[in-house]
Amino acid sequence: MSGPDPGGLVLDGVSAAYRGTPVLHEVDLTVDRGELLVVLGPSGAGKSTVLRVVAGLEPVTGGRVRIAGRDVTGSRPGRRNVSMVFQSYALFPHLSVAENIAFGLEVRDVPRRTARERARAAAESVGCAALLDRRPGQLSGGERQRVALARALVREPDVFLLDEPLSNLDLALRVEMRAELRALHDRLGATMVHVTHDQTEALVLADRIAVLRDGRVEQVGTPDEIWRTPATRFVARFVGSPAMNLLPADGPVRPRGDSPPGALVTDTGRLEIGFRPEAVTLDAADGAPATVDRVEVVGEDAYAYLTLAGGEPVVARVPAVRRPHRDDSVRVGVRWADTHVFHAATGLRYRP
Amino acid sequence: MRPKALVALLLSAVLVLTGCGSGGDDSSGDRGGPVKLLVFGAPEELAAYRTLLDAYGKARPGADVQLIEASDRKDLLARLATSVAGGAPPDLFLMNYRFYGQFAAKGVVEPLDERIAGSDVVDPAAYYPVAMDAFTWGGKQLCLPQNVSSLAVYYNRSLFQRYGVPEPKAGWSWNDLVGTATAMTRDSRGLVIKGTESEGAAQRPVVHGLGVEPSIIRLAPFVWSNGGEIVDDPDKPTRLTLDTPAAREALKNLVDLRQAYGVVPTDEEVEAEDDESRFANGRLAMLMTSRRATTNFRTITGFEWDVAPLPVYQKSVGVLHSDAYCMTRGAKNKDAAWRFLEYAIGEEGQKIIAATGRTVPSHIAVSQSPVFLGPAQPPRSAKVFLDAIPTVRALPTVSTWPEIEDLTYGILENAMHRGDKLDDVVRDLDQQTRPLFARGENG
Amino acid sequence: MSVRPDARSRRQLALMLTPYLVGLVGLVLLPALVTLGLAFTEYDLLRPPTWVGLDNLTALTDDPIFRVALVNSLVFALVAVPLRVLVALGLALLLHRRALGVGSARGAALLPTAVPEIAYGLLWLWLFNPLYGPINQLLRTGGENGLTVLGRTPPQWLTDPTDARAAIILMSLFTMGETFVVLLAARRSLPRDVYEMAALEDATGWDVFRRITLPLMAPVLALLAVRDVVASLHFTFVPAFVVTDGGPPPYSTTYLSLFVYQTGFEYLRYGYAAAATLVMILLTVAAVVVQWRLFRRYRGFYRL
Repeated sequence: MSGPDPGGLVLDGVSAAYRGTPVLHEVDLTVDRGELLVVLGPSGAGKSTVLRVVAGLEPVTGGRVRIAGRDVTGSRPGRRNVSMVFQSYALFPHLSVAENIAFGLEVRDVPRRTARERARAAAESVGCAALLDRRPGQLSGGERQRVALARALVREPDVFLLDEPLSNLDLALRVEMRAELRALHDRLGATMVHVTHDQTEALVLADRIAVLRDGRVEQVGTPDEIWRTPATRFVARFVGSPAMNLLPADGPVRPRGDSPPGALVTDTGRLEIGFRPEAVTLDAADGAPATVDRVEVVGEDAYAYLTLAGGEPVVARVPAVRRPHRDDSVRVGVRWADTHVFHAATGLRYRP
Repeated sequence: MRPKALVALLLSAVLVLTGCGSGGDDSSGDRGGPVKLLVFGAPEELAAYRTLLDAYGKARPGADVQLIEASDRKDLLARLATSVAGGAPPDLFLMNYRFYGQFAAKGVVEPLDERIAGSDVVDPAAYYPVAMDAFTWGGKQLCLPQNVSSLAVYYNRSLFQRYGVPEPKAGWSWNDLVGTATAMTRDSRGLVIKGTESEGAAQRPVVHGLGVEPSIIRLAPFVWSNGGEIVDDPDKPTRLTLDTPAAREALKNLVDLRQAYGVVPTDEEVEAEDDESRFANGRLAMLMTSRRATTNFRTITGFEWDVAPLPVYQKSVGVLHSDAYCMTRGAKNKDAAWRFLEYAIGEEGQKIIAATGRTVPSHIAVSQSPVFLGPAQPPRSAKVFLDAIPTVRALPTVSTWPEIEDLTYGILENAMHRGDKLDDVVRDLDQQTRPLFARGENG
Repeated sequence: MSVRPDARSRRQLALMLTPYLVGLVGLVLLPALVTLGLAFTEYDLLRPPTWVGLDNLTALTDDPIFRVALVNSLVFALVAVPLRVLVALGLALLLHRRALGVGSARGAALLPTAVPEIAYGLLWLWLFNPLYGPINQLLRTGGENGLTVLGRTPPQWLTDPTDARAAIILMSLFTMGETFVVLLAARRSLPRDVYEMAALEDATGWDVFRRITLPLMAPVLALLAVRDVVASLHFTFVPAFVVTDGGPPPYSTTYLSLFVYQTGFEYLRYGYAAAATLVMILLTVAAVVVQWRLFRRYRGFYRL
């Protein structure tokens, strides 16, 4: 491991438990200064716990947490210089937007005038300056989200922690805020940890993604790496929609082209091949026979849900204009170059 | 109809029905039923009444008298008034003459003259006139007294003997009382101690010489004995007359028991342990109270006690304590109630209640019989109570007397325990009670 | 179905309310109206009332005992109500978390409220016993000659006017169980993340209390204060009746409720007592209106 950037965030073998049940298992994560790391995983994977451990809201049962080069493992939340945007936004309902944003400054005894000026500046930077005199109860979901963001960035913390901040918004707003969030990050050059269960959000937003499963880090990498070379079967299936097809390596579908050296010779019985729906062709002459169960059309694309002769399910993405119909017989083909090979027993990526 | 609506309707119906039901009880109830007798008292006193009721039940099979027990005098007054207002009064109630005036004045009490005249059991001449007179109102005999008592000095004979102090005896003076009380106020080593320095001093008295309430009814006999009066006109009082030299002296002497001599317990000590308990626990040499205390004191096993007459200023005067059975005008079982009253007032009933120690019988013959005077139970000198009867005087029965007693008690308590200036005390007593007298009605 | 749903539900509502309304009107409102009517009569419970107009009310203004009772009641409400709410709030904030012994502590805080009133009074009569009562015994530990360790006389709960008033207030403090439960529930319903937010901002305990907890609970606190003011006329009665009997003389702990009881039921001046009750009710209404206006602006908090 290379030396950690002293400006960022380092989790070094962090474990945590909730009421005696382990939630995080020796998590190692490094976030460089100015980097936006997205923690991705299904619910219950421990994503929020990662944030809460960084913030100091949950104690660690092992490991160290370092922020900007300081070991903050035992520090109380207020001493860590982190900001958090909660999923619920956690706005103070009895305070105006301006008071909400200035709260952190005022309890730190920043003079009232200065605090209000900085609050206004923060509100302007996220486009909610017009709301300063309103109360949270009078705001829409998106407006509250902006206020929560403004409150997080007014204090110029070392690390921003965002706990599924977009999950309460409708799709259009989510897409818009996603872009704004990314722009904001680029403008501020802030170190951010963003938690989500939405793989699209992760792929769009992240500098790097950490995929979490059952309290363990499955893979950390750029969106491209996560997409192209998923380190485990879990990552492969979790990222991408519909999920990647998985079949036994010695199963009915025989990929064409050059196979990974040695793979099928030595380990056929203990390997699995995965391929994304868009890699599937339905008219391969030597393909495996399958029947079409149903077809979903999504604009230009169509997803065909197939069953192979042996009963194994396969999903294929095809242009809508060339989609098959129910009960059609097709021949499923895929190229070796488009497949991922995993150890059946461990789920780890097969590396020849 | 929806189930919920049905339930609601049912509930309302039940409520209306029960409402009607309880109303129906009042109007169409069995007018026979038990005779209801309203009393209050300490547990020992209530036991005495239950004994009487049991005996009556045995003597007259089929007769049914029900005892309604109030927790104290004030509770009894409230219950009586509200039950009269509600139209369902008890048939009989037992009340001190000092408090019956408001009910007598307002026509709540049934006059008994006709029933007495027609009775071959009740002979008015067989009762102490002073008690009978206390319960006449506007020339009518309203209630019949069950007892006639005077204030007496209960004393702890064993304690007197231990310290070699002469016991109180008839004809003793106020000075004798003060001297005796001073001699009996002792510390834990049994040495005479001056109780005036008790607050914050090295030692509190373990035994106090005397217990006496700072009330107008305790003060009255001494005012009279000293030749004074407590009101301007006993029949139609308009004010207290404690500003005369004789009354002032008696008042000052009473207050001095605490303020000058410290022989009575402080207010703090009284709150910690009332005088009756203090006496029963052997920590009070003398206690000035009425016959009522006897039932309680008969449970004392640790020492011997007796009674002595009140000390005297110029002439022997006692203050009347008397309770009587009164019949309410709205009683539903007047005849049955009268039959019980005849029994309770008559020789048999008076003997039974006298045997419990509660009363000095108002029936002259019973009071002179061994049931009352016999030495089987203390006090040995029970005759002290009888000897006092010829000298006793009654307090006014003006209808606002209960209020006057409460008001003056507060002022006198502060005089005795806080040491208010005598001039202020006398003035406050007069000024504050005048409106009450003015509001009062007299028989 | 010929009946429209909202008409049906309205009819159902009326039916459901009927039992309560019958009871309210028959057992509370009518007697209260009659009592208020009696305020303008002379009535001794024994003879029929006679109309006296405003005589009772004018007599009240001259009645020194009534004035004392009025002042006593006002002072009690001014001291006891804020104290009760504060104590309940303190306990609620102390005991809202899960921790060892918190359950028992909550139970203990509630327990005095469950004791029947008279028994509660008798219990305190024993506790307050100036010489043998546990409170003063405790205060005397370490001191000499019946004094406290500081060389002062322990409070004379039953014989000193100020101490007796304090005693009544003390008694009333321990019956704040209901208030405590309401505040406990209110505190537990406050969102957790708001407090975590404050922790991240390094707000001190005092800041959290002043800037978050207090304003968020203010509507509930206001409601409880109003309730306590209304009830304060009620919860002075049994303590004064059982423990101090309105004393120490003269009338140190005679509150309006006791004054009304004594005047009406002991001295049989029911009409006069009704007039005092009328004054009591008017005062209560005035107090409620004033408080409501003071606290009304806080109601905006919950407009989420």
